[in-house]
Amino acid sequence: MKILVAEDDQLMVKMLEFRLKKDGHDVTITNDGRAAVEKLDDFQPDLVITDIMMPYLSGLEVVSAVKKRYPTGTPVIILSGMGQENVVLEAFQLGADDYMTKPFSPNELSVRVRRFDASLVK
Amino acid sequence: MVIKAYLLTSFNIAWHIQNIILAGIILLILGLLVYMLSYMYFKSIYDKKFEKWSLISDLLIRKAIFYDDDEIEDDTLIPVTARAEKLMHNKYFRKLLVTEIISAKKNITGISADNLKHLYVQLGLEKYALNNLTSSRWYIKARAVQELTIMDMKEFVDQLYSYTDDKNDLVRMEAQSALVQFNGFDGLRFLDTITYPISNWQQIKLLQQLSHLPPSDIDMSIWFKSPNSSVIVLALKLARNYHRFELHDDIISCLDHSDPWVRFEAIQCLTEIYTDETSDHLISRFLNEILKNQLAMIKVMQTIGTDRDVLFLLDLLTYDSDEIKIFAARALAQTSKNGLDSLLEYSGKADQSINEIVMHIKGEIAA
Repeated sequence: MKILVAEDDQLMVKMLEFRLKKDGHDVTITNDGRAAVEKLDDFQPDLVITDIMMPYLSGLEVVSAVKKRYPTGTPVIILSGMGQENVVLEAFQLGADDYMTKPFSPNELSVRVRRFDASLVK
Repeated sequence: MVIKAYLLTSFNIAWHIQNIILAGIILLILGLLVYMLSYMYFKSIYDKKFEKWSLISDLLIRKAIFYDDDEIEDDTLIPVTARAEKLMHNKYFRKLLVTEIISAKKNITGISADNLKHLYVQLGLEKYALNNLTSSRWYIKARAVQELTIMDMKEFVDQLYSYTDDKNDLVRMEAQSALVQFNGFDGLRFLDTITYPISNWQQIKLLQQLSHLPPSDIDMSIWFKSPNSSVIVLALKLARNYHRFELHDDIISCLDHSDPWVRFEAIQCLTEIYTDETSDHLISRFLNEILKNQLAMIKVMQTIGTDRDVLFLLDLLTYDSDEIKIFAARALAQTSKNGLDSLLEYSGKADQSINEIVMHIKGEIAA
């Protein structure tokens, strides 16, 4: 599965990259929202995992961009420290498919990612 | 001749001075150059070393987080290379490693977080943190408390207890938060003994931490008798948030406290915890209160007031303070139908200012 990760915290990036690669995914990392949106056409991801608070473009703007470009596909998982109800609701309204708050369990993320793996869906 | 010799000597001196200045400038430039080159040299050595340490630290953390993806038993050891073991004696490496472990621990939960704690203990890093608790520098102490808290080192709760009344406010705050994180409501036992005030900010932080926990019926009566006003204020906030009706009498007794801050919080608390006698308690103390607390009392009566309080509220309309008049009119309009009727009847006989207030209140109600 091709996964595009947008995250500006380097330690988080390392953790996510390692976990997702260990699960056999093809992972591309970007460190801000703008870079993530720019990567969409090149990388054609099957899934996007994004933080919310990032430089240039926020994760919510990334969700909008992904949903605009791929109206029927490419799910987005938000992985953010912001757990306030209004932010979560806004993310879902924009089309986010899942929302995880930090601190998070890497094992749980792994399971949630598998739910979007079309090759595993029978 | 003399003049010529004099001019020659002067010229020589000037020439020497010029040379000395020039030499000085050259030396200065050379010195700066040597400094810059050596700085760049040592920085590149340090950067390389730091990069290597960073890799070792990342590897250790990664190993711990994803160690077999299973919970580690107490006696299992996470593989640590000999090089990493050796580096543990280097305080700069330890600092880097601890910073990264803490940063990772803040972002993850579940088995991975437990494994990270396991690594922290396996490397004996908690011993250094405990050692830092005894430092004479407050920021080292505060950081050590924070580190032990993030790493969930509940076993050191007794050591941390003594820092809940530390003379430094940041150390105190960290230790108090640690106790609440480890022991929930029972962690508030530090309120029995603390002498330093708990800031408003810290009270918000503690209440926020507790808001994630199920309510508790912890005995709070001792806190209402504390010589520390901030402890009483926090107890009042807890009583209010958790609807501790059995504490009504303790709250009423706070209305006679010497500190206006305590009295204010007690008044606020009565909005949530009241009986049919609460208004009488407020009315009997109204005249002796400061303006801020008087306004708070009227606001409480707006919520808990009944027909019995209408006369008292009508009387407040005769006060000089416009604020009291507005608050009283608002309370009258909302206590009962009788209150609103009395207000309208009064405004018919009263002066222009009361009429304006009543119009304003009517607008508020309509909105």
